[in-house]
Amino acid sequence: MSGADALAGAIQVIGGIVLAPLLPGLVQTVKACLQGRRGPSPLQPYRELRRLWSKSAVDPEGTTMIYRLAPAVVVACMVAALLLLPIGGRSPGWPVGHDALVLVGLLALARFALAVSSWDTGSGFSLMGTSRDLTIGVSVEGLLLFVVLLVTLPLGSTDLRSLSDAGAGTTVWSMPAHWLAAAAFALVVIAETGRQPVDNPDTHLELTMIHEGPLLEYAGRDLAFLQWAAAVRHWVVLVLALELFAPHPASFALRLAILAAGLPILCALLAVVESWQAKMRLLRVPRLIGVGAGLCLLGLITWLIGGRL
Amino acid sequence: MRMEPVTAAQWHARCADSLAQGGRFLALYGVGGGGAAPAGLPAGPGVRALFAGPDGPRLLASPLADGTIPSILDLAPAAQWDEREAHDAYGISFEGHAPLRPLLEHPADLASWTVPVHGHDSHQVAVGPIHAGVIESGHFRFHVVGERILHLDLRLFYKHRGLERAAEGRELAAGLAYAQRACGACAVANSVAYAHAAESLLGLWPEPGLARARTVLLELERLYNHLNDIGAVCAGVGFAPGSMAFASLKERVHRINRSLTGHRFLFDTIAVGGSTWRVSPEAAAEARRELRAIDAEARKAWHEMLFNASVQDRFVEVGVLGPEDARRYGIVGPAARAAGLAVDVRTDSPRLVYPGFAPVQLRAPLGDVASRVNARALEVPVTFAILDELLDGGIEPAGMEAVQAETVGAGIVESPRGETVCVLEAAEGRVARLHLRTASFANWPGLARAAAGNILPDFPLINKSFELCYSCCDR
Repeated sequence: MSGADALAGAIQVIGGIVLAPLLPGLVQTVKACLQGRRGPSPLQPYRELRRLWSKSAVDPEGTTMIYRLAPAVVVACMVAALLLLPIGGRSPGWPVGHDALVLVGLLALARFALAVSSWDTGSGFSLMGTSRDLTIGVSVEGLLLFVVLLVTLPLGSTDLRSLSDAGAGTTVWSMPAHWLAAAAFALVVIAETGRQPVDNPDTHLELTMIHEGPLLEYAGRDLAFLQWAAAVRHWVVLVLALELFAPHPASFALRLAILAAGLPILCALLAVVESWQAKMRLLRVPRLIGVGAGLCLLGLITWLIGGRL
Repeated sequence: MRMEPVTAAQWHARCADSLAQGGRFLALYGVGGGGAAPAGLPAGPGVRALFAGPDGPRLLASPLADGTIPSILDLAPAAQWDEREAHDAYGISFEGHAPLRPLLEHPADLASWTVPVHGHDSHQVAVGPIHAGVIESGHFRFHVVGERILHLDLRLFYKHRGLERAAEGRELAAGLAYAQRACGACAVANSVAYAHAAESLLGLWPEPGLARARTVLLELERLYNHLNDIGAVCAGVGFAPGSMAFASLKERVHRINRSLTGHRFLFDTIAVGGSTWRVSPEAAAEARRELRAIDAEARKAWHEMLFNASVQDRFVEVGVLGPEDARRYGIVGPAARAAGLAVDVRTDSPRLVYPGFAPVQLRAPLGDVASRVNARALEVPVTFAILDELLDGGIEPAGMEAVQAETVGAGIVESPRGETVCVLEAAEGRVARLHLRTASFANWPGLARAAAGNILPDFPLINKSFELCYSCCDR
């Protein structure tokens, strides 16, 4: 294992676990600036995690092991996703592989675990949020898969390391398919992170919430785990976006610099979109995802006819 | 105002007559009949109905026949909540109003107060009375299939204070405090409605200076409410920049209120029989300058909202309450004007100063969220213009002139949410019965109607487009 691999491994673990909550914090801070408010510091999510961590977990009456295990499953999925996701195209070779399809599966498994925990509680609002989350999730996962397949076309492999390496240089940008996949992935980022126009992360109105819904019954450490997992979701999709779609040279050090600069920039972009776009009508969200699918389809067609710019 | 005593047997026919002669239902309330009998009115337990007519308001007063009176729901569906309230508060049975569901009473049995909804996949979603935000107590019971709302049952009146009853036996001037405290956001409208009712009982007519002072206060109240309500709609769709912009403008109006009257919500600025409010010409000019600055900012903020497609997309064809329903349900204020009804009490307010006032008219009054937001947004510049004109020069204390006294006092005022009606019966110079029917009370059933057919996640937005007050029910 080279030094670069070890460093990438350290960022995978420490970055994912420690730095992830900084991302939603950054989005909130930039949003507050855009609204002319002072707003919370980017460290606010850490304070909330500390507050929740010091509280005991509460089980609603009548819930079973499913409810108890769900946060653990979600956290496990996220940790595996962190280890699976290469940093700068490198990874020390954790025994989880680097398959993009597994990553899609892990995100889906985390969503499933939360959904069944909602069924277990039987809480109306929890289930309502879950049903919305799954409705949107079905199409978002499909779109994510579509994007991944489009990116893998030139390589014929779904290995994230080689995908990331293949994105180096300028050749890849001569293919319209890559551009279209990047555009479609932007929609995946917004939907997976639960940001506007898909979901309003600031609302606590039971009637409108999507991603907050399944978390409603959880408290204390369970909720801390789940909020951390939501932050890791930000980390995973944003790092994946940079790995696959940020124009980068082959040098590892430069790629790390791009990652370090790119994450805050993407967070700021999310904040801009969220300030400028109101939350969409719920039943129109699948249509927005459909636009992403259309982009992918277009990309596929350009690939099939051997399109080059 | 005309007062007509009728018998229980004539009640239904006479109410029908009043409506047939171009009248409009304004309020219905019960009286307990304890204490001194109000002068010129039938003694004992009874029921009263107030109608607006071409020749001014008309009050029908009837005693009960064995605690019962025919329901006028078939004539005026808008009387639904009034009859339910009179039943719960005074034990009056309304013959023909079936099922007469409880309104103030909160029985545990769900079937007693909700509309039965049966069918495949229909279920109920209960929200409140404790909400995830700074919201007053109210319970909403949605009957839904999936996300679609079939029907909404409201249960409000959680913090009923018995203000109307508490005011009974007070001096007429002292009763004003009870009407004012019914609601914080409509304190001026409620107070002015009470003051008008009390002054018509006492035979007093405001001098021009007093009319002007009260109009200024009413419009300042409308201004901060409208700015708040437009901002609330932005918050409802997650458009934070808009909600922040309007919140800051609203705050600036509160500060003008404080500098002019000493109270951010304009409390205790109205009194029966005159006004001691004084504003120096310099302070008025300063307020006028600040209002002009706020006007310019408000236009900018509205422009941002108007040209944001993602925001406007949420408003169109959501929460529709069309003209037919608005008329049937007796909807008032911006919600009625949004449905194309040209109703605004300001067109007929001789005790205030609204020369040549015309209600706003939308180009396409569809009665949806967009129309309600637009109606408010159109009224904001009108309010700025009225204030700009009226604040030309200082405000001096003013008194009243003597005119013919009335048997029963009625004050009808356009509050930020619409028509607020205050009826006052007096016995020996004291309050015998105070009835305050605010615009929120009138519009709540309309909100439930507008919600049906929409999807659940749009309800908070529809709710905010009406922005009704719970406290106005808990009077």
